[in-house]
Amino acid sequence: MNLTLKIWRQENARAKGRFETYKVENISPDCSFLEMLDILNEQLVDKLSHPVCFDNDCREGICGMCGLYINGRPHGPDDGVTTCQLHMRRFKDGDTIVIEPWRARPFPVIRDLVVDRTAFDKIIQEGGYVSVTTGGVPDGNAIPIPKKNADEAMDAAACIGCGACVAACKNASAMLFVSAKVSQLALLPQGRPEAARRVQAMVAKMDELGFGNCTNTYACEAECPKQIKRSNIARMNREFLCAKVCSEE
Amino acid sequence: MSLVKLASITKKMTIASVGAFLLVFLPMHMGLNLCILREDGGEWYRNVCHFMGTNWIVKIMEVVLMLSVLVHVVVAILLTIENKKARPVGYAVPSKSKTHAGSKWMIYTGVIVLVFLIIHFINFYFVKFGIVVADDSDTYTVEVEDIQKHLNDKVTELQEQMMNGTLSQEQAQEQMMALQLEYMPFLQIAQTGQPSDKISKDGEELINLSKEELKQFVGEDFTEYEPDFYTMCKKLFANPTYSIIYLFALVILGIHLFHAINSIFQTFGLNHRKYNKAIEYLAAGYALIIPLGFAIVPLFVMFCK
Repeated sequence: MNLTLKIWRQENARAKGRFETYKVENISPDCSFLEMLDILNEQLVDKLSHPVCFDNDCREGICGMCGLYINGRPHGPDDGVTTCQLHMRRFKDGDTIVIEPWRARPFPVIRDLVVDRTAFDKIIQEGGYVSVTTGGVPDGNAIPIPKKNADEAMDAAACIGCGACVAACKNASAMLFVSAKVSQLALLPQGRPEAARRVQAMVAKMDELGFGNCTNTYACEAECPKQIKRSNIARMNREFLCAKVCSEE
Repeated sequence: MSLVKLASITKKMTIASVGAFLLVFLPMHMGLNLCILREDGGEWYRNVCHFMGTNWIVKIMEVVLMLSVLVHVVVAILLTIENKKARPVGYAVPSKSKTHAGSKWMIYTGVIVLVFLIIHFINFYFVKFGIVVADDSDTYTVEVEDIQKHLNDKVTELQEQMMNGTLSQEQAQEQMMALQLEYMPFLQIAQTGQPSDKISKDGEELINLSKEELKQFVGEDFTEYEPDFYTMCKKLFANPTYSIIYLFALVILGIHLFHAINSIFQTFGLNHRKYNKAIEYLAAGYALIIPLGFAIVPLFVMFCK
């Protein structure tokens, strides 16, 4: 496959970025998207120019490090996969592919396609955990948890924090991420004691960091590689309202 | 501004609850509009307009309604500004993500509806308050009692002047005769209940007068009187340009409403497999029925009358 790539290049956080056009030839359709970029980078290094920087780690769709905005969609044209799991067979020979970094005020570009997602860590630090040591693994069914709750909590916990929801949202809102983190704990008895404080603190942090407001557009749900559902956002809204109305914290 | 400091979810719940209140208002307005369809020469419609213009509960609700619109608009603008600020550098390729119908355009459909609302206010709502003066050819609805009162006032004035001696007895009597002649046609019609274009079917209370006739006995105070909304409405909708603008605004309103209703439930956390479908149908039904109901009036005036 021969492809034309238009890639966002930016020296550092303060520099003014621009699109550069590159040609790559003889790309195998079995290549993953990141491998295709690796091939491009080898060519660039051979020519003694700077390789294109992009985040990646496990390359098996579970770490949440990779994330590119490809032709108008975070993580590219496939549903429910991360960029590293996207393969070149999804493109046609001669295609032009535009690759951009996540765009959001709380996610500043560090270099080229790499963005700083510390904002997500800051939100987690506000209470996305159980703050006491819970000891060893308890006996099975020592605490009864309905199967449905366990399943939903597990689905919410599948969030890998890649930031595609923020990248996809027209308002750069982090509601899907925050709601997944709130939900996974709110659904389980271990998370309940701190639920009211948690939801208020995490939402406050999210607002403070400059993420946009949710307008129920659901682009986040459509683009989430882990297919986190919008029902989590509803659950967070519910938790937030209950906390404001009932809790003294 | 403490409004700015509110949590994002609180702001969203505010705009949603205010929007929900506005949703209750629409079917009522639609019901009142549909009274114009009755083949009674506008009797029901005039009565409804008179009721809406004079009832005190309606007047209180009017204030609540205006405040709701204001809050809805202010919070919407605030949220939009925050949302635009959250992405200072945009994407080169426009988003191709799947989104909920209408959701990306809420602020735009909202602005169009607001602009239409202002036009609508100038044409109808402000006329009621006399802020905007109805057309010369419009007729006004006046109660017979009012005319009687005005006549009595003028008579008393003349009598006082006679007592003071500013007018001689002959002069005063002459003017009084002139007054009686002037007021005669209106009072007579009302008192005898004779059918006429000046009098509504129920005959007893309301008479419709042209602006000139009204000016005759109430002077420049004529704006305090209710214009005849029935003829005004028919005249406006007979203008195809106005009707088309009206119908266009209704389509836009429908798009706004469809996402709005879905959104209200989501914002208040009402998202459940059991009733998500029902919410979707409710939103689609409401967003279809309300604009259609409003559209009947201009279509009826344009094509059936």
